[in-house]
This record gives sequence, C-alpha cells and structure tokens, in this order.
Amino acid sequence: MGTISIIILVVLAAVLGTMITVDIVKAKRANVKYHWKQCIAGYVMMAPAITLAFVFVLLPILFSLGYSFTDYHLLYPNDIHFVGFDNFKTLFNEIGNHGELYNAILNTLKFVVFVVPLQIGLALVLALFTSRKKPGVKVFKVCFFAPVVISLTVTSFLWLQILAPTESGMLNSFLSVFGIGPIDFLGDPETAMIWIVIMSAWQGCGYQMLIFSSGLTNIRDDLYEAASLDGAGAWDKFVNITLPGLKSTLLYITITVFVGACRVMIQPMLMTGYKMHTVTLSYYMYEMGYGSYLVGLSAAVALLMTIVIGIVTFIQRKVLKGD
Amino acid sequence: MEKLTLNSEQELLESFEERGLDDSSLAGAPDAESNKVLEEQVEIEKSELVDTQLIYDYASVSIPKNKKKIALDVAWYVAGAVLSLIFILPILYMLAVSTKSQLAADRATGIAMFLPDFANLGTFFDNYGRVLTEYGIWRNALNSLIYAAIAIVLNILVNGLAGYVLSKFNFPGKKFFTFIILFLIIVPVETSIIPLYTIVTDMLGLKGPTMVVGVILPAVISIFNIFLFMQFFESIPKDYEEAARIDGAGNLKIFFKVILPLSKPIVATVAVFCFIGVWNDYLWPMMLLSAYPELMPVQAVLQTIQSIDGVTTGEIMASLVITSIPIFIVYIAAQKYIVQGFGSAGLKM
Repeated sequence: MGTISIIILVVLAAVLGTMITVDIVKAKRANVKYHWKQCIAGYVMMAPAITLAFVFVLLPILFSLGYSFTDYHLLYPNDIHFVGFDNFKTLFNEIGNHGELYNAILNTLKFVVFVVPLQIGLALVLALFTSRKKPGVKVFKVCFFAPVVISLTVTSFLWLQILAPTESGMLNSFLSVFGIGPIDFLGDPETAMIWIVIMSAWQGCGYQMLIFSSGLTNIRDDLYEAASLDGAGAWDKFVNITLPGLKSTLLYITITVFVGACRVMIQPMLMTGYKMHTVTLSYYMYEMGYGSYLVGLSAAVALLMTIVIGIVTFIQRKVLKGD
Repeated sequence: MEKLTLNSEQELLESFEERGLDDSSLAGAPDAESNKVLEEQVEIEKSELVDTQLIYDYASVSIPKNKKKIALDVAWYVAGAVLSLIFILPILYMLAVSTKSQLAADRATGIAMFLPDFANLGTFFDNYGRVLTEYGIWRNALNSLIYAAIAIVLNILVNGLAGYVLSKFNFPGKKFFTFIILFLIIVPVETSIIPLYTIVTDMLGLKGPTMVVGVILPAVISIFNIFLFMQFFESIPKDYEEAARIDGAGNLKIFFKVILPLSKPIVATVAVFCFIGVWNDYLWPMMLLSAYPELMPVQAVLQTIQSIDGVTTGEIMASLVITSIPIFIVYIAAQKYIVQGFGSAGLKM
C-alpha cells in the first residue's frame, strides 16, 4: 500500500514537473520573469494543503478505484491479489439472485424516487410561501428551517421515538385516539422506507427553501408587474417567470439533493439497523467494507455507484441546462 | 391548497369535539385562531358566490375584492401556522419529553405530549443532570468542541494559505493545481470512507488514542474551501498587498495582517460550516474511536446512550437536546454568514 502510494506520488510529481517546465519555457519565450523566491515561498505555503489533499482526498479516490479489482481484506492488508472483474461478477450474481445487493438497490431507488420530488417540491412551495412580505413571515421561515439545525443523527433518534411501536410513541399515541392500534412503522417492510423518506424530506427541505428564497429575490419585480399588466394569472406568472428565473437554482438543488439521496445511509443505519427492507446501497457498501472486511467488494460497489451517479447528474445537467 | 388544509383542520376540530373535549382545552393559539378563521372562510365562500352572481354589477365589485384580499391574508396565515406546526411539533415533542420521567412521558396524551412537565418542576432538569453526569456526555461534548476548534483553525490556515498562493502568486505549475481543484469539485466522488479508513489505520498506522488525529485531519482539508478562498482573495485589489510589500512585509505577514482581516466574511463562513461539519459528523469518528468511548465526539456517543440498560425516553431526548444546542447557537449567531454560504454554494455549479 505504501509502495503504491509512492508510485502515485511519483506519477503526479512527473506530471507536475512537465507542466512546470512547459510553463518556464513558455515564460522564457514571452519574456516573462518569475520571482523565484516568490515561487518557492508559494510552494512552501501550499505544502500543508497539498500533503493533506493527497493523503485524504486524492488517495482514497484512487485506492477506491484500485481496490475494486483486488481481493483486499481489511484484516490482511499485506495479502492483496489482483482479481480482475471477479468482484463485479460477484455483485451481478448477487443482483441476479435477488440477494442483499438487489434489496439495497431497490430500497435506494425507492428512496431517491420519492425523496427528490418531495423534498424539492416542498422546498419550492415553502420558498414561494415565505416570499410574501408580511409581518410574521420570518417566524414561519424559522419554523421551516428548525429541523435543518438538528443533525441527521439527532433527527434519526428523535423519529425513532416518534415512530416507536409502543402506545407511548408520539404517532401511535396520536393514532390510539382514533382507535388505531400501535403500528410498527419501521418494522413493516411496506412502510419503513416511506417513513424514512418523510423524515428526510422533513429534515432537509428547509435548507433548499433558503436557497430557493435567495434565487427568488434575484428575479426582477418588474417582470411580475409587466405580466400583471398583461393580465397574466398567478399560474402563468409561475410557469413563465418564476420557473425560468429559478433554472440555475433548480439545477443546483436537483443535483445536490439527488446525489445526497443516493448516498442515504445514516437514517436506515440508526433507525432499523441492517434489515433487508431498509438496507441502502451506501449502507451495503459500508457493511461490506467495515462489517465483513471485504474492502474489494465494497470498493466495487462504490465504483458502480460513482458511475451511475455521474451519468445521471450529467443527464440532469443536460436536460435542465438545455433548450 | 389552502382550502384543503382548512378542511383537514375542520375534521380535526370535529374529532376533538367527538371525544368530548371542549374548545377551551385546546388552548393552543393556532386552534383558537383557526376556529375564527373557519367562520371567516365560510363567509368568504359565500361572498365569492355572490361575487360570481353579481359579476356584471360594476358597483359591487370593489367591496368583495377587498374582502378577498383579507381572506387571502387570513388563509395565508392559517396555512403558515399549519405548516409551521408540521415542522416544529417533533422538535417541541423532543423538548417536552426531555423534561419528563418515563411515567409522565407515557401518560401524556394529546396536547400534553408537546408541553413540558410543568407539574413536576422539581424534576424538570433531572434527565439533563443524569445524562451529563452519570452518562458523562459533557466529556464528549467537550471533545466535540475541542476537535471542532482545532479543525477550524487548521482549516482556515491550510486552505486559506493555498487559496492565497493560487489567487495571488504567479508560479510555474499553477495550472496543474487549478485543474486538480476543478476536477475534484466537479466529479461526484462516491463515499470513499472505507479506503480512507484503510489509509488511516494501515498506511498512517494510527492506533489507539492517536486515532483522534485521524478524526480531525480529514476535516482540515477541503478542496471546496480552497476554491472559496481563491474566489474571495481574487477580488481583493493588489494595492493593499503591494503597499504592505513596500513596507517590507513578508508573505506570511501579508497573509495574516492584510489578506485575512480583509476577508472576514469568507473566514467566518468557512469557520461556521467547518464547525457544523465536525460537530455533526457521526460515522467517521464512530468507525475510528469505537473502542474509546471517552474520546468520542458527542454525536457518536448518542448511539451508546440508546443501548444503555434502563435508559428512559426522557434521558434519550435530553441527550439529543444537549447535542443540538451548540449548533442552534451557531445558526443564530452566524445567520449572516450561513446565508452567505448558501450564496457561495451556488458557485459550485
């Protein structure tokens, strides 16, 4: 592992070296002079950032890529073999046999498909709702934003109590008024993922609301006034002025919410544990690596996820930026 | 939509009446309000009917229109109250239960679920006391604060210096670094947490309590923050720097005495987001420090508290509240910078 990272370091240094020489040659031709003392000082000042970025950002990415073609085992780090596409074959077999990975993909899909429109839609509604300049609007904004302040961990534990399957759980206590017996919301394979979706949207949408709000303030008021003079209704104004005005904000939010949703892991981890009806891709990847020590397989899952997410975000960008 | 929420409110009220609760027991302001609003809404609907009937009667148009505006306002406030309740009720529940004994928490139904235990003021903060002293969560909260403080200082120094060099210096090889930064920002990297774990435990060989270093260091480097600093420093006119240079100041002195003081907003934004990031981080410290509960940050220890034998719901809620308070304070104190952070988040695209 050490030797591999040294090789990577040498390769990067070589690329940097050639780029430096190219720059120097170019500068000589254009008669630009570098202050050498400045240059050295610059590199010295960047050294901590370069070192840390290399070890904690770049290496994990490259290793993740590399591990996926090996049988790296967490307990035997010195006994690594190159296994080609064996890891991917195992994974596709797992999907074919409707195993854990199959469930993980299905649950992640379920989460993404529900949470992305719900969270973005809710955030947009809240942003439009709070865009009216009325006394008290700030109170509403604070209320909508409050769940963002409590962390995902705290939210998960809080909702674990709210959804507790006993009579004393908040929701069950509420339902018992209507004579509906205690329901095991998170134990039921049908509803568990839905509750995780609702909780996540509840926690996160205040954040996107604020981003939408700042996007809304950038839309010029005179556009609305002109539209009003032309006799446009509220819906017309929304479709023809607000939405186009929010295009770049919408692009940013869709991509970040989508990528965040694909990575969902803390919620099922803390609320249900490793169960077939809530396991997600990230959770599966984590369990493979940290729980079962099969780093190679885990890295292969990560690589597949990166590819899929990369493709989908690329398409989103094209679709939303296009026309 | 507004009508829809009103209808559901009406159903709610009816259901309360069916259970023999009179209105006064629902002392909460929104409910009393909504009753009034309901009456008004009925009137408005009537007036709308009239409005359509008299649509050709010019004289009567102006009055209903004004009424319609008031109705819209009222409906807006009602919808706002209902929406706010959806977002705030679970948090009120957390605060309320954190003051109750298990018995009181189990007994509370209806509105009482969301009210603190005013009946037993003597035991009001008992859960907090037990969580802080008996379960020793204060130590973990202190750990979190220390880790966050170290990470913030190093984060600003390391990324700030890199941003300073990349934005103000002209040196060969600059393109290489700007390219890598843009590449790392644009490419969606899927959680590389497992390889990161192998690097910290295997390559760096961190063991035992030194794992703390592994908890803090990854939080220090942030490519996005380098990018933010670069963007901000580029907008600082060269004159300031040159004036300082003529006075004989060195690079570091210029960075600390000229650049950083001129960049307070971005420094504050980075500090705030770094604090929130470190304080809220759960999985990474959990992985590294699972064998050393006394070194864990507060988020990671929440899980441990859940699994203690005989822990009460109130104690769990108290631990959640304690964990949330610092973030709450930061959000209130640094509102301005957080909004700025949202603005800069848009740069990322």
